[in-house]
Amino acid sequence: MNEIKIKSKNLNVYYGEKQALFDVNLDLNEKEVTALIGPSGCGKSTFIRCINRMNDVIDICKVSGNIEIDGVEINDKNLDVVSLRERVGMVFQKPNPFPKSIYDNISYGPKIHGKGETKSELDEIVENSLKKAALWEEVKDRLDEPGTGLSGGQQQRLCIARAISVNPEVILMDEPCSALDPIATAKIEELIDELKKTYTIVIVTHSMAQAVRVSQKTGFFHLGKLIEVGKTEKIFKNPDNKMTQDYITGRFG
Amino acid sequence: MSNEHTVKSYEEELRYLIDSVIKMGSLTESQLVDSMDAVIKVDKDSIDKIIKSDDEINKFRSKIDTQIMTLLVKRAPMAIDLRETISSLKISQDLERIGDLSKSNAKKVKPLPLDLPEELLGNLKRLGELVIKQLNDVLDSYVNKNYDKAKEVWEKDEQVDDLTYIAMESVIDFLSKDKKNLDFSTHLIFATKNLERAGDHITNIAESICFLIKGEYLKGSRPKGKVIQQ
Repeated sequence: MNEIKIKSKNLNVYYGEKQALFDVNLDLNEKEVTALIGPSGCGKSTFIRCINRMNDVIDICKVSGNIEIDGVEINDKNLDVVSLRERVGMVFQKPNPFPKSIYDNISYGPKIHGKGETKSELDEIVENSLKKAALWEEVKDRLDEPGTGLSGGQQQRLCIARAISVNPEVILMDEPCSALDPIATAKIEELIDELKKTYTIVIVTHSMAQAVRVSQKTGFFHLGKLIEVGKTEKIFKNPDNKMTQDYITGRFG
Repeated sequence: MSNEHTVKSYEEELRYLIDSVIKMGSLTESQLVDSMDAVIKVDKDSIDKIIKSDDEINKFRSKIDTQIMTLLVKRAPMAIDLRETISSLKISQDLERIGDLSKSNAKKVKPLPLDLPEELLGNLKRLGELVIKQLNDVLDSYVNKNYDKAKEVWEKDEQVDDLTYIAMESVIDFLSKDKKNLDFSTHLIFATKNLERAGDHITNIAESICFLIKGEYLKGSRPKGKVIQQ
């Protein structure tokens, strides 16, 4: 098993009066894919949004407890959130490219983070990012066309390329395939398999089959609590917890 | 199984699969009882009926295969449902093989003389009764999802091995008295061996049931009797 990259300890999240996460203790291993599953509203998206402090933008949201990346507390008020988000990229459910060219979609991040000062450096970043996202061959002759003109699956890979372009360590994926057809989904899953060699990946998914296919570790959330976490194979063949079993077999009341 | 599935038809499909395995098991048990009876009583009239019942068992096997393929494609079963599905596949394979062995034993009745001495059949009869009891117990443990009972069957196969050895010895003793007995003695030796092999399939079923219930295979090697060690 790989080393622990991200560690949450007694993590609690509140949206105003409502508590969304209860004492979540979860270790995520480096260069592995961890899948988070559970019914809607169970807290899995809230959890991954804690890893890059996306919850900071919600006024009523309060976070207590710890999240460490490489042993460094990220809930520290003095931590530079911009550089945290450079290290922890995110891909959302619906592909959301900027209304800019394919090239600009990728070069935007490196530019604002001060990477790629010359045109040729930027060209290299754009090409490498698109190659890593398995999109280069499909778009290399039309980099100046709008990103929004690509198909859904291509747009999602563009968003992954955009996340990769700033050379992050962690990629968070919040249901990245739920808006895609089976072929586009297969391409993203293939890509995840490749990306895990370089990045630590956390994926939220409603597809049990996808969790089995892409992840090495799976965590099951219910009503804000982490009910069970373990090797993916174990969770889907023989989970320890009855609630986990009821959820993955479709017996939830 | 615990709670019911949210999708009722999924629940029904799984229930239907389990029922099919239970029915196939009960048919296999009847066939084994009938074939043992035919051997012991040298009842040549029942041979055709037993051979025919094997067709029924084979049809069940095909039906269960189809049900399993449909379940896998439609439902992509997970956890206990996955184990239930895989176990059904394995158990039905073993039942089918037991059916084949019963049929094979029924066929061996044809060349047997009607006046077989009691002492020759006594041990074979005891072996047959034990194998039938083993099958009955393992099917019970499947119906009631009883791990301990399945494990008990698995362990008890040692007795089947020992009795096989004893039954073989008595046939060989009989054969050594008069070489004229060679032809039908050979059939009895094969019939004895078939029962021992049926016992092995029963232990496979017991293993599948233990895996189904606990999600892990029985650890260690099964206690083995004399015949296996030879």
